[in-house]
Amino acid sequence: MLYFIGQVFPYIAVGVFVAGLAWRVLSWLKVPVPFQLTMFPAPETTAGRIMTIGKQLGLFTSLYKSDRTLWFWAWIMHVSLAMVIGGHIVGIGYLTKQFCLIGFSPDASTALSIALGTISGLALFISLIVLFYRRTAIPEVKRLSDPADYFDLLLILAIVINGMHMRLPSVHCDLESIRAYIVGLVTFSPIPIPENSIFIAHFFLVNILLMYFPFSKLVHLVGSVVNRAMLVEAAPVYPTPAGVRRQVKFFAKEEYASETATSHSQGTGSKSSGV
Amino acid sequence: MPVKPPLHIAKEQEVKAAGFKPTPESEVKEKFLAKLDEMRSSMRSLMVMLETCTKCGNCAQQCHSFLGTNDYNNFPAARAELMRRVYKKYFTTSGKLFGRFAGAEDFDDELISKWMTYFYQCNECRRCAQFCPFGIDTAEVTITARHIMSELGIMPKFMAGIAANMEKTGNNMGIPRPATIDCAEFMEDEMREETGLDIKIPVDKPNSDILYIPSSADFFSNIDTMIGAAKMFHVLGVNWTISSKVLEAANFGLLFDFNAMQAQNLRLKEAALEVGASLVVQGECGHGWRAAKMYTEGSNGPVPFKIVHVLEYTAEHLAKLPLSKLPMRVTLHDPCNYARAGDIIEQPRQIIRSCVEEFVEMTPNREENFCCGGGSGILMDEMMEIRMQLGKKKAEQVKALGNLDYFAVPCSICKAQLPHVMKHYGMGSLSMGGVMDLVGKAMVFNKE
Repeated sequence: MLYFIGQVFPYIAVGVFVAGLAWRVLSWLKVPVPFQLTMFPAPETTAGRIMTIGKQLGLFTSLYKSDRTLWFWAWIMHVSLAMVIGGHIVGIGYLTKQFCLIGFSPDASTALSIALGTISGLALFISLIVLFYRRTAIPEVKRLSDPADYFDLLLILAIVINGMHMRLPSVHCDLESIRAYIVGLVTFSPIPIPENSIFIAHFFLVNILLMYFPFSKLVHLVGSVVNRAMLVEAAPVYPTPAGVRRQVKFFAKEEYASETATSHSQGTGSKSSGV
Repeated sequence: MPVKPPLHIAKEQEVKAAGFKPTPESEVKEKFLAKLDEMRSSMRSLMVMLETCTKCGNCAQQCHSFLGTNDYNNFPAARAELMRRVYKKYFTTSGKLFGRFAGAEDFDDELISKWMTYFYQCNECRRCAQFCPFGIDTAEVTITARHIMSELGIMPKFMAGIAANMEKTGNNMGIPRPATIDCAEFMEDEMREETGLDIKIPVDKPNSDILYIPSSADFFSNIDTMIGAAKMFHVLGVNWTISSKVLEAANFGLLFDFNAMQAQNLRLKEAALEVGASLVVQGECGHGWRAAKMYTEGSNGPVPFKIVHVLEYTAEHLAKLPLSKLPMRVTLHDPCNYARAGDIIEQPRQIIRSCVEEFVEMTPNREENFCCGGGSGILMDEMMEIRMQLGKKKAEQVKALGNLDYFAVPCSICKAQLPHVMKHYGMGSLSMGGVMDLVGKAMVFNKE
């Protein structure tokens, strides 16, 4: 069983994550955009479009305009999650000595690493609880929510609690053996998972999250970019410049009266959308 | 409890007269799912927008429909759920695997009633897209839902009537060519009386440089808008005409059926080619502008002429117009399909500032403006009570400005909706009309 969880399952999880996400995103991209959906005022250059989407992704600008409280907690949640993920990569990779690279002493680096990790973890923990509470407290949001909406929050919350648990001094967590294990996985020469039940649970839940991700609403991470790309697409220009053809595969029509052949033109939107 | 749509649904005969095919009761579910499948694989927006919502509920407070009616199903995410739940059940992995847990539900007998009720209480104003953290545009869902129902032969009596008129005459009101010419002559007489000048409204004049496409309402209820445009063209000395073939900037097809939208849009193209216009100027109509600007290329492109809006055109030539400021305090309602969806944002402001002494902004304004509550063609009389609820936000915005002499609403649907709203909320004496109306009134002619 430990062999499966430690040396087989992670590969399944990552495989499902990568293939599932790619399949999901491609399933969107292969569908044409028959008509431009530009929202005005719209950026006019490619750099402007990237800026607009980037600002939305990094700062949640449209949410900021409408609901400051939700913006605050959602932003804290996502930023602390990003910090936590980044922290795992460098913190485990350099065994908390990553800040030596920018001139810190080894002890100071470890202290800073622990402090940042703890703050991010706590921020993530609190913001998830607030978002969960919000979902139950606003009547129309509560009515809108499905079990899956709570499940998503609880799954991440469980992973966070598990991870924070390992920070307690009473729990012995050997970063070095964890790094050796991860390196083994990444280099396709897996070694047995460290026998620390808290770590095993934490790692297993992350694998579940990875597998679940592409099929859940968590794909909003990518979906929002695909959406935004449509909203900042350049508006049509008239007269139509030479070479531009966005003839739509028109929707099937069953007419009652005259069966005159309407233009069922071939081909799909040939002009690509977005940035 | 069963939902009864608040609007009159077209009877079989009316559906047929509009050129649509009714679907027998027993085939509805099957055909419904086939249509939904077709639409999701034809429109990326629909697919991504149905699959990206995290149900944060942020859109509730941004939607005038929800704020005005307080009906849960009028909150944009909940409205989209009416489609999303069935969509999940049939077209997503999570819905197939986890069912109800992931928010998937089967098609049931009530669904069409719910769709007719709530997708016709969305004004397709796109304000939710402006504020959604992911840019989900519920208007895309509404447009598709109405299209699917229309293709099943289920549509409001109101839309079926307009489709039948369009089929016959090329305009919503069913105005035949002789009546068009009469009306044009009547307006020419009016202008002669007022200015002493011979200002023409040419109909079907061949070899015209400019084709002007008014709203058909500008021939009856909003003639000052048409007169304002005619005066402007006269002063600029351009070679223009209107076409009896497309006497309607509106494209109601966009509001209930894509195929009807394409057919109406084709009229624009054919009429422009027929008179030889190199420039098409769209009159004061909100969704008609969106249809012309954003949908012409996709539906009937490529086109060899330029398409601009009359307010764009007027703003561009503002310096050449002899305008004298009227002593008025005026505010502007940004039609949703001008600002957010059509890039006509600063032009009406420039024009109004040149025409009147005091211009005040309502809050919010420009691309964040609230809809009038009549948008997307839900002007049915039987919907009046709901329309007043949908107009509540707008009324509050106007009320906050205090005394006004004129309320500029440069869109025919807004012009049809807002007088009722203002009256309902105790502002019945406020005079309102288009922006071109102001141009016509502020213009000074030297009587030689």
